[in-house]
Amino acid sequence: MSSPDPITLAVVRGALHQIADEMDLHLIHAAISPIISEMHDCAHGIYDARNGETIAQGGYGLPMFLANMQYTVQNLLAHVEADGGFQEGDVWIVNDPYLSGTHLQDVVLVAPYFVDGECFALFANTGHWMDIGGGTPGGWAPQAREIHQEGLIIPPLRIVRGGSRNDEVVKLILANLRLPGQIAGDLEAMTNVFHVGARGLDGLVARYGAKQVRDCIDEMMERSERQMREHIEEIPDGVYRFEDCFDNDGVVDAVLPVRLAITVAGSDMHFDFTGTSPAATGPLNMAETTTRSLAFVALKHIFPDVPVNGGAFRPTKFTVPPGCMLAAAYPSPVCGYTDVINRVIDVVFGALAPAAPEITPAAPFGTAGVTTVSGHNEDGRYYVAVYPAPGGYGGSAASDGLTNGTLPSSLAGFMSVEMSEHRYPLRFDYLAIREDSGGPGAHRGGCGTRYGIRALRDCVVSVLGDRHDHAPFGVAGGGAGGPFRATFEKGGERVTPPMRSKADKVSLSAGDAIHIETPGGGGFGDPRTREGEDIQADIAQGLVSEESARNRYGFAP
Amino acid sequence: MNAGAIIGIDVGGTFTDLYLARAGEPAQVLKAPSTPSDPSIGLMDALAASGADGAGVGLIVHGTTIATNALIERKGARAALITTRGFRDVLELGRRDRPRMYGLSGVQRPLVPRDRRFEVDERMDAKGGVLIPLDLTAVRALGRELAADGVEAVVIAFLHAYANPAHEQAAAAALAELDADFEITQSHAVCNEYFEFERTSTAVVQGYLQPLVARYGRRLAERLVETDFPHEPLIMQSNGGVTPLGQVANRAANIVRSGPAAGVIAAAALARDAGFSHVITGDMGGTSFDVAVIVDGQPKVARTTKQDFRIVLKLPMIDVHTIGAGGGSIASLDRAGILQVGPESAGADPGPACYGRGGTAPTVTDANVVLGRIDWQSPIGDRPPLDIEAARKAVGDLGEQLGLSLEETAEAILAVVNHTMAGRTRLLSVEQGLDPRDFALVIFGGAGPLHGAAIMAEVGISTMLVPPEPGVLCAAGCCMADIRYDEAQTVERALDDLSSAEVGAILDGLAGAGREKLDVADGHLGASSASFTADMCYLGQIHNLRVPIERDWSPEDLSQAFENAYRQEFGNVLAGIPVILVSLQATISAPPPGQVTRTPAPLEPRAATPGSRRDVYFGGWRDTAIFARHDLKPGMTFQGPAIVEQADATVVIEPDMTVRVDGLDNLLVEVSR
Repeated sequence: MSSPDPITLAVVRGALHQIADEMDLHLIHAAISPIISEMHDCAHGIYDARNGETIAQGGYGLPMFLANMQYTVQNLLAHVEADGGFQEGDVWIVNDPYLSGTHLQDVVLVAPYFVDGECFALFANTGHWMDIGGGTPGGWAPQAREIHQEGLIIPPLRIVRGGSRNDEVVKLILANLRLPGQIAGDLEAMTNVFHVGARGLDGLVARYGAKQVRDCIDEMMERSERQMREHIEEIPDGVYRFEDCFDNDGVVDAVLPVRLAITVAGSDMHFDFTGTSPAATGPLNMAETTTRSLAFVALKHIFPDVPVNGGAFRPTKFTVPPGCMLAAAYPSPVCGYTDVINRVIDVVFGALAPAAPEITPAAPFGTAGVTTVSGHNEDGRYYVAVYPAPGGYGGSAASDGLTNGTLPSSLAGFMSVEMSEHRYPLRFDYLAIREDSGGPGAHRGGCGTRYGIRALRDCVVSVLGDRHDHAPFGVAGGGAGGPFRATFEKGGERVTPPMRSKADKVSLSAGDAIHIETPGGGGFGDPRTREGEDIQADIAQGLVSEESARNRYGFAP
Repeated sequence: MNAGAIIGIDVGGTFTDLYLARAGEPAQVLKAPSTPSDPSIGLMDALAASGADGAGVGLIVHGTTIATNALIERKGARAALITTRGFRDVLELGRRDRPRMYGLSGVQRPLVPRDRRFEVDERMDAKGGVLIPLDLTAVRALGRELAADGVEAVVIAFLHAYANPAHEQAAAAALAELDADFEITQSHAVCNEYFEFERTSTAVVQGYLQPLVARYGRRLAERLVETDFPHEPLIMQSNGGVTPLGQVANRAANIVRSGPAAGVIAAAALARDAGFSHVITGDMGGTSFDVAVIVDGQPKVARTTKQDFRIVLKLPMIDVHTIGAGGGSIASLDRAGILQVGPESAGADPGPACYGRGGTAPTVTDANVVLGRIDWQSPIGDRPPLDIEAARKAVGDLGEQLGLSLEETAEAILAVVNHTMAGRTRLLSVEQGLDPRDFALVIFGGAGPLHGAAIMAEVGISTMLVPPEPGVLCAAGCCMADIRYDEAQTVERALDDLSSAEVGAILDGLAGAGREKLDVADGHLGASSASFTADMCYLGQIHNLRVPIERDWSPEDLSQAFENAYRQEFGNVLAGIPVILVSLQATISAPPPGQVTRTPAPLEPRAATPGSRRDVYFGGWRDTAIFARHDLKPGMTFQGPAIVEQADATVVIEPDMTVRVDGLDNLLVEVSR
């Protein structure tokens, strides 16, 4: 490889990211499903045809797809090779979560890009389809015991061959979905995006030549790898262990441990999840692809300057015991992966905190904590209202944690109270900072949030959360944040559901309510070393009670 | 001086720009140093320097950064917030987010801290029905406490106040009766739409800025009266319209992006007169590049903008996107050893190395100096000669790390920064589903014309327009804007449930509210006009589409217009799903007196003659034609590479580009075929 000149390298790097960004925007613009157009539940990238490594990934999609796309492409390569390799004009499709991660709703398309008859790169995208068949509309099936209850599995197959689409396969897929019209549109839009990518690469190759673009890609990868290695080298060699637990899987009330040992040796990093709970009976499982991706999301939160490409992933290795809840195997259900995703981030923080205390935060609130309310409006129309939990971020060497953050794996927001009250027969009693819930520390965790939602008509409420029995942990001597709490108010009585953080289809009558308290972030550093004036300010702001200041911070005014 | 001159003044961080237009005469432009401690001093200095006197000036129109700066630097009022019980934290909670996609650190600085946020008993439902009556006794008691505490501004933001403002009005009246020193802001009066966080945040920005903007307005009015300027000046708003100085305190939240809006308005007007209706505007100054899109002559308007983390304004503002790329942007190597430019900036102090004020980091301006694009011996803005050796040293040191020559390094810096600006420009159009090749680029700002040609080529835009005074275009824009008010009301009902009469009554109410504000405005306005839009969505959708509508349209007409817009935007419609009318808007505007219109001069086609030549680097040192802008007359043409020099900017024409001067003294630049 000849070393590209610095100007070309800088411009080609920028152009590749631009192409990936334009692919993101194209789908966000063209998709029918609001979950793609409004929540950006999608991702696009350009991948190396030789080994599937990420060349560039768009900046508009969700963080959880960060490395998931590369591993999916790599898993697909073997299937494609066995089937004669990539041909010009092909598009492959897959949603088998044991290969492509996350859940069945996330459908992945992969298309080759040819220069002069040679496969130069691969484009891939993933988009969340609003329905994938199965037992429950939308795909969240808390009672699922096997993947078939969750929906249609699409194994790797060529949905477009030599430029013409296999409409019979498309018909078969659509016949199994509840929203065939909408999803036909999404599929069309996802396929069209590859033209946008091809147009961009055509321009780049025409300007610089395939060889020079290739050299720039190789150089970018190597430099990203070096950059990642420099970061890892700053962490002292050693084995860093951490263990955290899920309350239960919502079906069986038993603790599910997640164990991680990170070995840092020079500039290499090994993530070993040995000792993690076997697959859960309920859907609290996740594919290995996604586990690895989320470890990178955690690293990216710690080292935000590392570019997202395959080079940055090279210094890492993974051991995830097959069949455990973090490497789900057929037929384990996976649709409850949203909390599992975030726990992977948390345990990476927990393990690295003693090794890299200057840059690693304490645990964020760490639970999707979704409250789902369904029932009928005054005019008889069926509604489903979804309220995902916000919460506090962990304290860090730099600062106190943020209040009311969104999940580290996501960017999705919380619904406006006024809009919610326009749409659903539900009324908010309060939406407030949860006082005294930030983990105590030299730098305090951000406070959780609390809200009370009152039913104006009969309805059914489900809660899917965690971190009731195992609150977000503090690091470097900091304390834990306040735990997740869901309390039903029925006929004037307050009741905690048997699974604490999870409840399936609880009936509420008009006048009843659900009260949610979301976790605060963990604290960073010994609370007794927190500056007196900061504690005083917390008391004045009502974020820390005088009692906590005394008992947890040892503060005497 | 002829009567009826109109003066535009844009106060920026470094310079106060003045643009004086008179019918039948060339515009007069000048730059005076800004005076950040009291910007009205710099403004008066600029006026004095222009030689304008009160008798000869019909109108002064003024763009200001005073509100932006107070917001970003947190120098606004000591404010308090009163909310519905249970909801005082809405302002701080926002809508569940974080400052950046990656990295969980970051702190928040709410404009009103939690210990000055108070709750009272009251509650409306979504239809405006009273669930819990307002506790006025508690409001009065709270008001007395706040007065004793020295609070300067009290903001009242109750849930569903847009549906029924009675409680906000009653609380405000009770507070007003106390005769305290604080100013009172009601959320529904600032933003009459739902989404409690966005409305509360907007109202808090208004309350936070109001005392400061009021003081500034009074001071400026006094100074102008002292110097015998008889007419009330107009202030540029972020929506691209102007408002009289006397109203500006009550519209403080509406002037947060005053200057950039003026630039886009000017660019739109110049482009329209030159025959372009689809325009991308690029404004490059010392620290940032602002880009905006104009479709069919209308600047794109953003409905909600983020000013800082969890500080949101839900007010119509010209949609100007900013990236950290300017003349002062610093070139460096990132951790991977790849060249990057910005977002760090050398700012005004120490500024680029060539300013000779101790800056040693290489900047974009230094690269332009090294390559001879900027004439170091006579820079713009009446500066002393630049320190070219300092520029060469700064750029050369970076070059050593890259293994490049001095000139190659400088060219690399320009390539990277041009690529960054071109990329953002492309994304902005792509984000909105537009093809940038259908657009003309209007380039301006002190540094814009140095880079516009490269951006145009990179994006694939066919024509670039360089205005006659690109360095003071925001000041010029002040002279071209209408007086404008935007009114809105949330409806949030299915179209099927609405009658034509109901829709018409809401629109009349909105137009009436806007006309009332026009009537208060001083002076002899031109004929006012009203235009209407509706926000609509399918039941269940979170985002909605804004569609232009007519006053007498029926709900069926609205539905049809929505479906047409939806099909255009997304390629299909969702048949069978009810359409919700989310809200209605009215825009009322009227031209201020004395606007100057320019008529194109006849073209005399001929080749322009350069005033001088010097070596400029375009991939190698080339003997390059240097034109003085004032020598370029309508009809003249010339070829790149070339440099055009003028008092307020330097224009670079890349090789293989053709320039012609149109009848309005614009340079129209195209890639040669």
